[in-house]
Amino acid sequence: MISFKLNGQTVNVDAPGDTPLLWVVREHLTLKGTKFGCGMGLCGACSMLIDGVSSRTCIMPVQAVANRNITTIEGIGNPQMMSTLQNAWVETDVPQCGYCQSGQIISATALLSQNNNPSDNDIDIAMSGNLCRCGTYPNVKKAIKRAAADLRKGKGRLQVVQVFDPTANASPETQGVQS
Amino acid sequence: MSVTEQKELLTKNKQTLENSSRRNFLKNLGIVGGGLVVGIPLTGCASVQLPNTMDSDLQPNALLQITANNDIYFYLPRSEMGQGVYTGLTTVLAEELDVHPGKIKVKNVGAHDEYANPEYGLQLTGGSNSIRTHFIPLRQMAANVRMVIRQAAAQELQLPLDQIQTDDGMIVANGKKWPYGAFSEVAAHLSLPEETPIKKKSDFKYIGKHSKRLDSVAKSTGSAEFGLDVEFAGLHRAALKRCPVLGGTVKSFDDSKAKSMPGVKAVVSIFNGVAVVADHYYQAKAALPVLDVQWELPETLSDFSSDSTEAGNGKQLFKDALDSDEADNAYQEGNGREALTTSDTVVSAEYWAPYLAHATMEPMNCTAKFTGDQLEIWTGCQNPGVAAKLAAFYGDVAKEDVTVHSTFLGGGFGRRIANDYVAEAVSIAKASGLAVQLIWSREDDTKHDYYRPATMAEFQIGLDKNGNIDSWNVKRSGPNILPYTMDEVADAMMPGFLPDGMVDWISKAGFSLFDGWTVDPTSVEGLFEDYDANHKSADHVTVDPGLPVGFWRSVGHSFSGFFKESMMDEVAILQQQDPVAYRLKHLKHNPRLANTLKLAAEKAGWGKPLPKGHYHGVAVHSSFLSYVTEIAEVSVNNGQINVHKVTCVVDCGLAVNPEIVIQQMESGILFGLTAALYGEITVKDGAVVQSNFHDYPMLRMHESPDIEVVIVESDEAPTGVGEPGLPPIAGAVGNAIFAATGRRLRSLPLKLS
Ligand code: FES
Ligand code: FES
Repeated sequence: MISFKLNGQTVNVDAPGDTPLLWVVREHLTLKGTKFGCGMGLCGACSMLIDGVSSRTCIMPVQAVANRNITTIEGIGNPQMMSTLQNAWVETDVPQCGYCQSGQIISATALLSQNNNPSDNDIDIAMSGNLCRCGTYPNVKKAIKRAAADLRKGKGRLQVVQVFDPTANASPETQGVQS
Repeated sequence: MSVTEQKELLTKNKQTLENSSRRNFLKNLGIVGGGLVVGIPLTGCASVQLPNTMDSDLQPNALLQITANNDIYFYLPRSEMGQGVYTGLTTVLAEELDVHPGKIKVKNVGAHDEYANPEYGLQLTGGSNSIRTHFIPLRQMAANVRMVIRQAAAQELQLPLDQIQTDDGMIVANGKKWPYGAFSEVAAHLSLPEETPIKKKSDFKYIGKHSKRLDSVAKSTGSAEFGLDVEFAGLHRAALKRCPVLGGTVKSFDDSKAKSMPGVKAVVSIFNGVAVVADHYYQAKAALPVLDVQWELPETLSDFSSDSTEAGNGKQLFKDALDSDEADNAYQEGNGREALTTSDTVVSAEYWAPYLAHATMEPMNCTAKFTGDQLEIWTGCQNPGVAAKLAAFYGDVAKEDVTVHSTFLGGGFGRRIANDYVAEAVSIAKASGLAVQLIWSREDDTKHDYYRPATMAEFQIGLDKNGNIDSWNVKRSGPNILPYTMDEVADAMMPGFLPDGMVDWISKAGFSLFDGWTVDPTSVEGLFEDYDANHKSADHVTVDPGLPVGFWRSVGHSFSGFFKESMMDEVAILQQQDPVAYRLKHLKHNPRLANTLKLAAEKAGWGKPLPKGHYHGVAVHSSFLSYVTEIAEVSVNNGQINVHKVTCVVDCGLAVNPEIVIQQMESGILFGLTAALYGEITVKDGAVVQSNFHDYPMLRMHESPDIEVVIVESDEAPTGVGEPGLPPIAGAVGNAIFAATGRRLRSLPLKLS
């Protein structure tokens, strides 16, 4: 049994310790917002925040995140209540096919949590691990700048959803929840 | 048809609308809840005029539903794969319905003939034609619906029709407002008018103005459902071991070890490999390496290696074909090649483009579940209709017993026109007796694609004594796509298996567009059309090592744009003429393309000083009835190619959603730049060498240029945007590299070392 915090709630998972975190979250906990793209840490589709750092979870063994804080796209915001970045994403019309976008937003969230006035170069560095086959890069850049400007003005926040209730969606492997 | 006959049909149609078979039909489409449901017979609608909606043979069809609660549903007939139809077609509909596009609830649809693409007669999304082919029929349908709601309101409110107006989903009369839904029930019992006048451009509220994507919120919050996200109780995951050489089959296998791996529920052999079914994907995947499979290799492809220098192998295979006398003529104008004998100068060059994989961000996948004789599949694909038929065949059930649930597509680019993953998932579900989600790894996806065909072409351009082009001759060698498209369906090897319309579609593509052609048009498209010349010829010689090929974003234009525009640059420079001016001289018969070139030159500051070490290259290309010029600003340092800026001017007729047009130009440019700088699939002993993003890299953010897109103001009908941004970019960059280094790169990807 491995336990970690997922979007603010403690979850216990019964999966082999070397199982990639991505599949634990997608298949055991059935949160589907985080995507699978390459399985080799090359594309960023599987990005989640691990203690605030954007990480490639397709190559992250679940045992390595025991007792750590994991945030997925579902923990950033939802259609009813989006984060500042997500709002900027919608305002800028960033997504095309949309498949890479959860990962893009996770990496952008990590960037803005450290730096609310990133230069082009800062953005390039923070986002270079996230591939977008549709070529949304120009709009990703615009949206990050727009969100940064909003945050500097004190508008909105980087994360609006704090609590995830896995019982609502639980698969049999989810062995209960502690707060 | 006489008025009386029409009236009779109206009544008949009304009854059809009310009868229970229609209700069942609608339920089968996933449409429930009543209210006003309308469809349009888009099928076979080649002209801008709607076919007679009152035809008594009309199968009811359904694209629009207005409920008494005033929920307005649009059942999206085309697949949303990033290109923006979800927003674009809704905007078109919204305009005539007089409702803000954001108020319309858009649904991805399953498979049904009524959702056929008007141009193909198949439920296919591709060829950048969605907006173009639906622009009039959807508007006409929506205008008719708005009219019938007004008529219902007039009847209910006992007012003359001209006192019934609409405003954003509301009926407005006597200074009061009612939602459309208040009249949907009554409207459902009236006959739908046929030819309600549609709006003039000057009256548009949303077309040309609205650009907010309607799928942004779902796609920014992780809540948009892709094929891979499908989940239900009892679903298992499958991974498939396929033959490394495409087309190989299973000779024998030993599953003793694989079966005892954790979570493994079944190991089954299917038409192209051996699948492991497990509780979880990582378990299925972990069992593949211990699964021992012996393969029956396909003969031709097994002998092929890209780097072989032997005759009949590698690039030499293409070269031998090109140099042979063999050729099918694909196009001829004037005296064609014979005109070369009277030319003052002949400029020749040979070009090469490799195989390419699509690499959609979402790897191929499909979920399949049998309940007795009923088969359900979940997938995001570009042609749910063919998917349904394939599923029926491989699942050995009647086509009527197949239900397709469509999701968003995590990228298409032509890859998801093929439905091999559907055939696989259904076969695995059938053999294992389990509901399965088949997940392709990135390695599977890279190694088992329907690739952009590798292509070699030779130009011979005849110039007159003034250095102007007199004859334009080109010969291409490489595989044709069509046989592989056919292969997927013909694979089933039963005469009745060809989907209705497929045969039509093929003959249409082959013949109605280009009368008398014997060559797959996509093999030579874009090589010869754009520039003026007194004489032209395009020849084709088919050569195919056997690697499956398919539709890759912009298809033939993906290589021909590079070939033709590099060649044009060579000729201009040889004549010591400015590449923009020389092109303009030869675009007299192509004024829209010429116009984009003039605008782009102006925007980019062509001929004006650039930062030190930066150089411009230009390319123009028309494809999918749109016209695009791109100017790339490039520097080269120690053999490293840097693309700093791309200026793009597009004429796609009326831009329905201008921001989406800009996005699609950016998207095409970046997709094309990945191909121009990195893209190459090679083969060793029949097996694809590349496997994942380390050896088949994609452009990353820090490598992507600034892009400026200008849309030409136009009143012409809208044309394609999903693909036309791609073809010019490689040529523009290659031509800039020549300006920077004096080196002419005639092979893709562009490499200086
Ligand atoms: S799926 Fe993890 S980096 Fe690509
Ligand atoms: S939006 Fe399609 S891969 Fe990024």
